[in-house]
Amino acid sequence: MFHTTFYIRRLHSICGLAVLGMVLFEHIFTNSMAIFGPAALNGALEMMELIPKPIFLGLELGGIAIPLLFHAIYGVYIALQANNNASNYGYCRNRNFTLQRWTAWYLVIFLIWHVGYLRLYTKGITGTPISYELLQNYFQNPVVVVLYVLGMFAAIFHFCNGITTFCMTWGITKGPRSQNVVSVLSMGLCAILCLITLTFMGSYLI
Amino acid sequence: MAEKKVRFVIERQDSPESQPYTQEFDVDYRPGLNVVAALMEIQKNPVTVDGKKVAPVVWECNCLEKVCGACMMVINGRARQACCALVDEIEQPIHLAPARTFPVIRDLLIDRTRMFEALKKIQGWVELDGSWDVKDAPIQNPYTAQTAYEISHCMTCGCCLEACPNVGPQSDFIGPAPTVQAYLFNLHPLGKFDKPKRLNALMEKGGITSCGNSQNCVEVCPKFIKLTTYLAQLNRDVNIQALKNIFNN
Repeated sequence: MFHTTFYIRRLHSICGLAVLGMVLFEHIFTNSMAIFGPAALNGALEMMELIPKPIFLGLELGGIAIPLLFHAIYGVYIALQANNNASNYGYCRNRNFTLQRWTAWYLVIFLIWHVGYLRLYTKGITGTPISYELLQNYFQNPVVVVLYVLGMFAAIFHFCNGITTFCMTWGITKGPRSQNVVSVLSMGLCAILCLITLTFMGSYLI
Repeated sequence: MAEKKVRFVIERQDSPESQPYTQEFDVDYRPGLNVVAALMEIQKNPVTVDGKKVAPVVWECNCLEKVCGACMMVINGRARQACCALVDEIEQPIHLAPARTFPVIRDLLIDRTRMFEALKKIQGWVELDGSWDVKDAPIQNPYTAQTAYEISHCMTCGCCLEACPNVGPQSDFIGPAPTVQAYLFNLHPLGKFDKPKRLNALMEKGGITSCGNSQNCVEVCPKFIKLTTYLAQLNRDVNIQALKNIFNN
């Protein structure tokens, strides 16, 4: 008996929270520099360019691409095993369960577009470095802005609700009280991160 | 004579393979009327609201006091026991449907075999006989007896399986009730000898890892078993078992 399902599920859980959570925080942190103006964001982006190319590429592959592909592909498999029923059983946790899957579907499409256009096409193929000016130009289209804000909200909710379910899945929070406390705290974090996102996205428009 | 009527909209199905259809029935109101009693009235006089005489509605019931679990069905969209569904307390017209997480045999009658199969998978029993002397029963741990008593109330009705979004034909999850039964037998002074066996079974495909934490199970459980608490405890236990599996060899 080698419990493949068990280890893949637990890997999926920890990969989403620890690895992709870090990726999300890095994105929010770097992008929030836009609040302090073009120079601050460009400075932060140039700082990342200081990391030697092979190490940077290794981090992108091992720290983002592989965990993301694994989490997304196995996540689709998990999402397909659910028959969402929040219309009949409209409890808070069940609504979050449904939302966790809806945000996942949106993120799969959004991230193919986001990574495909900005990382692979713009930075990879055309060789244009990502800068404040490039993003500001990109965000002139209101449809892009709306889809990006939704993408961020989806990722933030998926991550924060993931904290709550991670604690249940790993048996960290057992009783309803501790589960509720973690749920309230993670939804608080969700609200804060969404506000930060709105602030730095808004800074491109003013 | 203006008698008060209660309207029932019932999802029916003639055989496991045939297409479901709905029929409506009116039942004379009386104080304290419950869904099982209303179904009995329909059985006595199976005439639809259009005045058509039809085959009586098939359903299952036994104890009529929320102990046996047999009369579980979907009432107004939610899985619950029909015997304790009082007409006065639910919205009318009352919609009845079979719990389609399970194979439907006929009308509201379902086949719960999968729950028994799941209990076999998690070894939902205490190994009593063997090549050893059978002594008097050991005493229960007084600190966990309350919990064991609570979980032992499970009547395998299937409410939690019907409400769980991760249980159904699209998934192989054995469901909350059989999973939590593993904890009951792990608490037993003799059953705990087989704890690693049960935990290893729960780590298999369709075991506890298929739980998606929607927590519908604990909301619908008619016996108020704290299913999510015990699921979290079992999650803890399987993690420890996994560490043992890795490092004890």
